[in-house]
This record gives sequence, C-alpha cells and structure tokens, in this order.
Amino acid sequence: MAAEPATVEVRLAGAAGARASREGIVHTLVRFCRKKPLGAAGAAIMLVIVLMAFFADVIQTHDPIATEAADTLARPSATHWMGTDHLGRDIYSRIIHGARVSLMVGVGSTIVASLFGGIIGLLSGYIGGKTDLVVQRVMDILQGLPLLVLALVMSAALGPSIQNVILAISIPIMPRAARVIRASVLSIREFQYVEAARALGVTHLRIAFRHILPNTVGPFIVLATAQLGSAILVEATLSFLGLGVPEPYPSWGRMLSVSAAEYAQKAPHLVLFPGIAISLAVFGSNLLGDALRDTLDPRLRGA
Amino acid sequence: MKTYLAQRLGIAALTLFGMSLVIFVLLRLAPGDIVDILFSTGGYVNPSERVAIEKELGLDRPLWVQYLDWIRHLCVGDLGKSYRYDLPAWEIIRPLIPVTVELAVLSLIIAVLLGVPTGVISAVRQDTALDYALRVVSLAGLSMPSFWLAMVIILVLVAWIGWIPPVTYVSPWENFPLHAIQFLLPALAVGYRSSALMMRITRSALLEVMREDYIRTARAKGQSEKTVIWSHALKNAILPVVTVIGIEFAFLIGGLVVTETVFNLPGVARFLVQAISWRDYPIVQNLVMFIAVVVILSNLTVDMLYGVLDPRVRYGS
Amino acid sequence: MMRFRVAAALWAAVAVSSLATNAYAQTPKPGGHLNIMLREDLSQGFAVHETSTISTSYPSLPCFNNLVFFDQLKRTESLETLLPELAEKWSWQDNFRNLVFFLRKDVKWHDGKPFTSRDVKFTFDMLREAPEAQAKLRINPRKDWYTNIEAVEAADPHTVVFRLKRPQPSLLLMLASGYTPIYAAHVPPASYRTGCVGTGPFKVKEWRKGEYVDYVKNPDYFVKGRPYLDTLRYVVIENRGTRVSALQAGKLDVSFPGETTKTASEQLKKAVPQLVVTPVGQTVSDNIIMNVKKPPFDNPKVRLAVSYGIDRRGLIQAVHQGGAVLGASLAPKPWGVWGIAEQGLQPLPGYGKAADMKDKARKLMAEVGYTPEKPLKVEIVTRAIAVYVDMASFVINELKQVGIEATLKQVETAQWHAMATRGDYQIGANLTGLGVDDPDANFYENYACGSPRNYSQYCNETVMKMIDQQSQELNPQKRLEMLAGLQKKLEEDAARPILDWKLDYFTVWPHVHNMIPHNNIYNFGRMTDVWRDK
Repeated sequence: MAAEPATVEVRLAGAAGARASREGIVHTLVRFCRKKPLGAAGAAIMLVIVLMAFFADVIQTHDPIATEAADTLARPSATHWMGTDHLGRDIYSRIIHGARVSLMVGVGSTIVASLFGGIIGLLSGYIGGKTDLVVQRVMDILQGLPLLVLALVMSAALGPSIQNVILAISIPIMPRAARVIRASVLSIREFQYVEAARALGVTHLRIAFRHILPNTVGPFIVLATAQLGSAILVEATLSFLGLGVPEPYPSWGRMLSVSAAEYAQKAPHLVLFPGIAISLAVFGSNLLGDALRDTLDPRLRGA
Repeated sequence: MKTYLAQRLGIAALTLFGMSLVIFVLLRLAPGDIVDILFSTGGYVNPSERVAIEKELGLDRPLWVQYLDWIRHLCVGDLGKSYRYDLPAWEIIRPLIPVTVELAVLSLIIAVLLGVPTGVISAVRQDTALDYALRVVSLAGLSMPSFWLAMVIILVLVAWIGWIPPVTYVSPWENFPLHAIQFLLPALAVGYRSSALMMRITRSALLEVMREDYIRTARAKGQSEKTVIWSHALKNAILPVVTVIGIEFAFLIGGLVVTETVFNLPGVARFLVQAISWRDYPIVQNLVMFIAVVVILSNLTVDMLYGVLDPRVRYGS
Repeated sequence: MMRFRVAAALWAAVAVSSLATNAYAQTPKPGGHLNIMLREDLSQGFAVHETSTISTSYPSLPCFNNLVFFDQLKRTESLETLLPELAEKWSWQDNFRNLVFFLRKDVKWHDGKPFTSRDVKFTFDMLREAPEAQAKLRINPRKDWYTNIEAVEAADPHTVVFRLKRPQPSLLLMLASGYTPIYAAHVPPASYRTGCVGTGPFKVKEWRKGEYVDYVKNPDYFVKGRPYLDTLRYVVIENRGTRVSALQAGKLDVSFPGETTKTASEQLKKAVPQLVVTPVGQTVSDNIIMNVKKPPFDNPKVRLAVSYGIDRRGLIQAVHQGGAVLGASLAPKPWGVWGIAEQGLQPLPGYGKAADMKDKARKLMAEVGYTPEKPLKVEIVTRAIAVYVDMASFVINELKQVGIEATLKQVETAQWHAMATRGDYQIGANLTGLGVDDPDANFYENYACGSPRNYSQYCNETVMKMIDQQSQELNPQKRLEMLAGLQKKLEEDAARPILDWKLDYFTVWPHVHNMIPHNNIYNFGRMTDVWRDK
C-alpha cells in the first residue's frame, strides 16, 4: 500500500539540500556508503533489482510467457528455480521480468511526477504571487486524496495499460514534488547570488533554470527515492486488483492475484516469491531513501 | 485563531469543489459507453433501450447540467441514486463507514502501541545493534504490501488450523469476541505497516529534540536520563507523531482497499473498488468526496492540535 | 412427451448414474441454515429478466418459480428431466404448435396475493415485447428466446396457451431455464431490482448490498413440507483466495457453480477429506472468435490455421489441469446431451494429433504467405478476467508456433459485449455459456446471421437452413444426426473454433444433502429439497 506519510518526511526534508552543491552530492554519496551501512544495503538491493531488470532476457531460464502444459504448479526444482504457476510458466523468469515492469512503472512515474511537479514547483515558487496561490490550490486538490484512491480512480478511468498506470501513479505524486521544489526555490530565491544575477539583468528563465534548479537536486533525489517505494507498492496493489499492468507483462502484483491464493496450499511458492520480490524492492528503496534523506538533510546530518 | 480557522475552512471548501470537478471529469473520461458498462451483465443493450436508460438516469443531459445537478443535491445532503442498486446512495454508503473507521482506528492504536516505544528505544540506543535491528524490522513492515500480509494471514490460518475469521460482518453487540477477532486480524496486518511510520517518526523527532537547548539544560540540571527522555523529550517529540497519526488515518480510510477485500470486510474502500468497476458514478463520486472530506478534516485537526501541543506556541501565550 | 423416449434411452445410462446415489438413502431432516458462496454482488438485484449473469440468477432462484423446471435431483438436464412447477401439467397440441399449461391453484405470491394465469401472460408478453404487454423491461437480453411465440393466452385463471409460429419442442427447455422465472403482474418489474415478490420456497429477508442476501423459509410454499431448510445466506466474497479458504474453513457450505477447478477441488479434498466433490459439465466452452468481416480472418484459410494451430488437449491440461473435455459446438456426452463424442471429433480441424495439426496450420499459413519467421501480426482481445486471460495466454503461445504473432489486449468486462457485438476486433479468446444445453439456445444465439451474440459475424445460408431444420425435427435420433452434421460443418468452416467444454468440480460439505449440480450452471439451486444433516 502507498507509503503516504512520506510527505511528512519530505516536508521535514523540505529545505534540505538547499546548500548541497553538485560536488557535495557526489562526495556525500561516497561517504554515505561508509557511514550508512543500511543505506548501502538498500543501494545494493536496488542495484541487484536494476541489473535483474536490465539483463532479464539474458538471465532468464525460460520464456516468461511460455506455457507448459505438462509442468503446471511444479515445486521449485533445478529446472524451475522458483517453480511454475498454474499455466506452467516459470516463476523465476517471471519474477525477473516483473522487476522490469515494477521498475518501469516505479521509476517512470517518479520521473514523470518529479519532472512535471518540479517544473510546476520551480515556476510557481519563482514567479510567486497570484500564480503561486492558484497553483498551490490546484496542488491541494490533487493532494486531497490518498495516493491509492486517486490512482485507483485514474487507472479505472484510463483503462489498463502500462503507460496509463504510470500516469495514474505520477499524477497523485506530482504535487508532492511541486511542494518540495517550491519550498527550496523560495529559500534559494533570497540568496545573494540570485539577487546578483537579477541585478546583472539575467533573464528570469535563465535564473530559474541555471541558478535555482541545480540547487534543488538534493531534495529532488530525496523525494524521488522516497516516492519510488510507494510507486512500486501502488503498482503492485493496482495490478493485484486487476487495474494495473495488463498481461502479457509479468507483474508482481498480478502474479499474486487470482490463482496464487487459490492454489496456495498446493503451491505456496506462487504466493511467496512475488510477495518477497515486492517487499525487497520497496525495502531497498526505503532503506536507500532513508539514508539519502539523513545525509542530504542538513538538520539531521550527524544525528 | 478564529480567522485562521475560517480561512482554512474556506480553502477546504475550495479544495472540495475542485476535487468534485476532477472526479467528475475523470470518471467521464473512462473509455466505453456508460450504458454498455452498467448493463454489461445483460450482454447487449439495443438502441431504443439505450435511449430510455439514458433518460432514466439523466445521462442524456449535457455534462455540465449533470455536474451542477450533482453538486446542487450534494449541498443539501442528497447523494443521488445508485445506478446499480436503484436506491439512494446514502443508504448504501452509510453502513460502510463505521466498519472502515473502526478498522482504521484499531490499526492506528496498534501502530502507536508498537511504533512509539520501539521508536524511543531506537533513538535512545542510536546506532547500536538494537537500533539497527528495530529499524530493519519496522522498515520491513513498511515494505511489505499489506494485501500480501493479509493474504498470508488468511492462507496460513486456513492451512494450519482450518479456520478463518468470519466472512460476514459480525456486530459487536451480537458477539463481541468474534467481532474483535474479525477486526483485530486485519488491523494487525495494517497496523504493523503503520507502526513502521510511527517508529521512524518517533525516532527522528526524538533525536532532533534531544539536541535542543532545553534538553541540555535538563540534563545539566542533573535530571536522570529516564526523566529527560520520557517527560521532556518525548512530550516535545509527540508533535510529528500526531501529524503522522492524522495523515495515516486519512490514508487508511481509502487505503484499506485490499485489506478489506481480502478479509471480506464490508467497508468504504472495498465498496469503492466494486463501485468503480461497475461505473456506479453516484456511489464512486460520493465515496471519493467522503474520503476527501476525511482527509481535509484530519489535516485540519492535526493543525489545530499543533496549537495545543507545540510548546513554542504555549510559551508564547 | 412420448416422442422423446428414444432419445431418453441414449442418455439413460447417464441419468441413472447421475441420480444422486444417496439422495434417498437418508430421511431428510427439516430445519437448519446454509451459507452459500457468491463471487460478486447481485447485479440488478433480483431482476433476473434484466441480466444474463449467474451472479443474479443463482441467488434469485429460491425466490422464484418457473412454469416447469429441471428436476433438481438429476444432474444431466434434458426434456426428460422436466418437472412441473407452477404448472401442474402441460400438453403439446396441434403438432407442437400450441403449448397448454394447467396451473396450480394453491400458489400465493410472497405478499399473499394469489398466482394466476394473468401473471404468466404478463411475464411472457413483457419478455417478447408484445404490443399488448403491460410492462416493459429496462433491458431484455433474452428476447430472442421467445421470437417464435405468436401469442400467450390466459384462457382461464388457471390455463395458459402459448401459440407458436412454427413447431418448437425445445421451447420447453427455455421456459425451464433459471433465466425464465415468472414475475408477479401486480408489482412493477423495476421493483425486482431492489426486492423480490416471488412464489418460491424462500422469501428474501434482507439484502445487504455487497455483503449477503438472507432468505427465510416460505411457510406457505405450495409443496407441503418443503423447503426443508429454515434460512439461507448467500455470502458475497470477491477475493478468490478468500472464497476458497472460506469454503475450506467451513464458513461456506456450498461452492459457487462453475467456480471450482479440478486442481482447487483436489487441494480442498486433500485438506478436508470429507468434502463432497462432484465433477459436472457446465455448458460453458472456451472458444476463439474471429471477425469474418475483416482481414485477415475473412480468409477461411487463416481461420482454419488458427483452429489447427491450437492444441486443445494441451489447453485442457495446462489451463484447466485436466478439468475440461474435448467437444465441438455442443457439449459431448456424458457432460452434455447433443455433442459429438471424441472419436467423431478426430477428423475435425484441431482435434487430431497435436504435431500433425500444427503442420497443417503452418502449411495453411505458408499458403497465405506467413511463417513463424515472418509471422502474421494480430491483436487478440480477451476479457480482463483471469480465466479468459489464462486461456488467451496459452493460445498466444500456440499461435506463435504456426506463424501468427498475437499481442494481447485485455478488455474490461464492461466494454466486452459491446465491442464484440460491434465487431471491433480481429480475433478474440472467448468463453460462451449457454442458458440451457439445447441446440436452439446455442445456434440461434451464437451462429445465426444478425444475432448480436454472433460475435464472429459468421453468416452462412446453408448453416441457417440446417439450424431451422434441426429445430423442427421431432425425432430425437434424426435430430442428433442433423446436429452432428451441423457441428461438423461449423468446425470445418472455423466459424468459432471450440477449444473445450469446461467441467466444474462442485464442492459441498457432507452435511449438505440434495444439492445436486447440473450440467448447466444456471438451472440448479432452487433449494426446495436441500436439507442439512447436523
């Protein structure tokens, strides 16, 4: 289920990376691995999942959508490492291809949300005044519903397809991104170098994108990792309810729906492996997100 | 305070109005003809039947008229008639609310009972093995899809003891122990997840508070570490915890979808999913508005509580 | 009725074996309660005439009665297993042109009003949308069943005459379908969407939306001493895993018709050995619909290649784990009455040895210029429901091997029928359920030119003639022969290749007696004779 309250932490992290410069981030990333073993573990999990997704075609042992009549609901074995489902499809191959779907939706929706939310937040924070007020109210509206509920209604309205699921998850996340970026823009706007640039007659657009945007990278990263976990969870939930990514893409959430529970006693691996896969992916991104936040949020630094 | 409240209520009304527009438009974006969808179980709707149904349900009117009609009725507390059930929407929605509220409250209680003490321990023992262990366990809770947890609970129960909690709602007056079991199991599944949030927020809030001057003062005054933590620090760290409780409550009202489905509890969230698949607009629209009102009210309550709980506010007055 | 004796002999063996062996072994005990599984809430309430879903018809059965109904204790349905219900007896006159029903005189509606011929006339005038109809249904999905009725006359309060345009002996079967209850004339048909005034053995006590329907015994039921049970509860459980668990844990006493797969039943039986599992036909087929009006499936070669290309036995093994049987457009014996038996199927496209069939399919595809290396690309549609998607996934994998590369498009249930009726698709993986195991109900609905349910838009004059001829044939043996020819022709034309007929592994707890599943999911569950031992 959606990790809704990530907003709180993000809010806390709001003014976070205002001071973090580009080099600072690279530097802290290196240091962070040494100082944050949990975060490093999270990063490692995520790396494994990314590699799995990337090389799915190479490391698969079977075609993930090929059915095998003679070998249905087989227990894990040397040929089928995680067993087969009720159609005789290889669970291991489906899990690694499922990583692709999960990441595609998770990363896709986070990027779409952060990008559009970021631009909206940047402009609304920079321009200020009435525009800001109107944008704020619109964001209020989109945030007035729990992530899952809005995503549910949206994916039902748009129909099941991978693009629509990405859209359905990114729209509810967007206001969060807008909020965070706006907050850091508001604080950066008052800095002297921005004022200096303005005094030198640099255009607004240039100020916004050249001087302010790079300085929002820190909170941006914190936000993106925090949302990645929720996006993966929401995708799994939507797919579980049959409103998510359609066949033939193997999706972890859908692997858990219908037949998994029906045949669970005969074939517990049907319930076990996809559930573990989802949990690990979200766990990894949460660990990483936590550590990143601790590192990039100056108020928590050293805490 | 009063003007602040009035202002907030104004914004809330504006938000709700916007929300109604968003939901109304979204639902009408759905592909396919509404009459086909509503009567898909009939198989085929012929053109003359279609015209009659559109007229009966008021779908032949322009969209903006339908929208205004909905809002006008909503303002006087009339939620319209369910397309599927031919009954006032309120009659159908009303019995769902207590189920979801009870489940949400119970889950939150479990979450606080589990999360706050572990958060304190974790903060006090910061960076020890215990801290890491607690954080990993709680983060695992946050990472497990609660529908999976719910599934596993049901499956393990039925496989091991051949028993599952009741599949129809048991009222507390009828059979309290059974009622308690029926709600406690899903509440545990959900509460474990929420407890992770409570734990994390308690831990970080406490760590932050402990660096504040007045804690140093208290320590300097020679008060025992126990007193410092439990009576000074925790009192002040409670603020973010309250915020999370508020936000989590709002989240749970709509977010219990799959838990309610797996445990077959007749709550708001489960019904929302059903109504969405039937395209029962009056039900979906009003359920979504209901969830929005809960979200806004709990946010408002949290903000009001700030005034009561924030020591800085208290010192100022 | 005499004329059907011959046909009766054909399925006599089946009928005898299907007579519940323990039905009369014990004396029924009155009283008690049953919890019965529902997979979703009732759509349109109890307005059975305004839906085509078992989710409405099944939980409405205890409320209603038909003129005639299938014997609830016999598994395989036919004209021979019909029993009078609201009609005391019936008689065909004028060489199957007039059907006269003599109604019971002791029947009362649940609100106390007497049941008369007026109610029967009201119901059928409404169903066939006669000019003199006193009420109109919001939608009328089975209007086509009654096109052959010219007039319904209430000769006196307890006699009704159906006048037909042409002889149609199997009309009785449609009247006996769970989809054909008699409505009360004195309440508006719309009121059935929220409540139920019936004549049946149970009265609706409460319908909690999305939760359950509660029934109590009708103390004035016209069969003395029935029903046995005091109360019924139909429990809605949408999550499939929870449904199965609830049955296993004893929270439910009876499974849902057509819902239990072979594997699920084996798993249940292993966990709770005393459960009673009855394999039974469902009159539901997996089939492939191909739009014959659009390329590439307007080309019979491509259609045939599809039919040859799908290994039906493999499908039965993989998708149904053996819980389905081979058959053409009608279910084969012993699961149905009219289908072609397995050896008769061998020579038909797709029913032979899998490897040979694949070769034939590849040859046909090669003739139109496609190979597995240079495949024909199509989009296959299916409903976004697990059983459909599973079947479609298998079919895609099969077609890949013969030079057809299909991508899957899932269509929401809500849009499925409209899409299929309009012909907005190339090829689809489909399930078809028949209201009764009857050739007329099947062919007029699914293969006749212009029928909205004829999704492949297949229209062939010879076939139409064959359909009409078999419908009027009064000799059952001759009719069976005609039907074999018709089914053969349809498969050879790949009009709508039938992949298999599904079986249900209906499961009840041992304390449930006389709950006999039928070979048609829509026609059992009146609950009059069901009793509980515990």
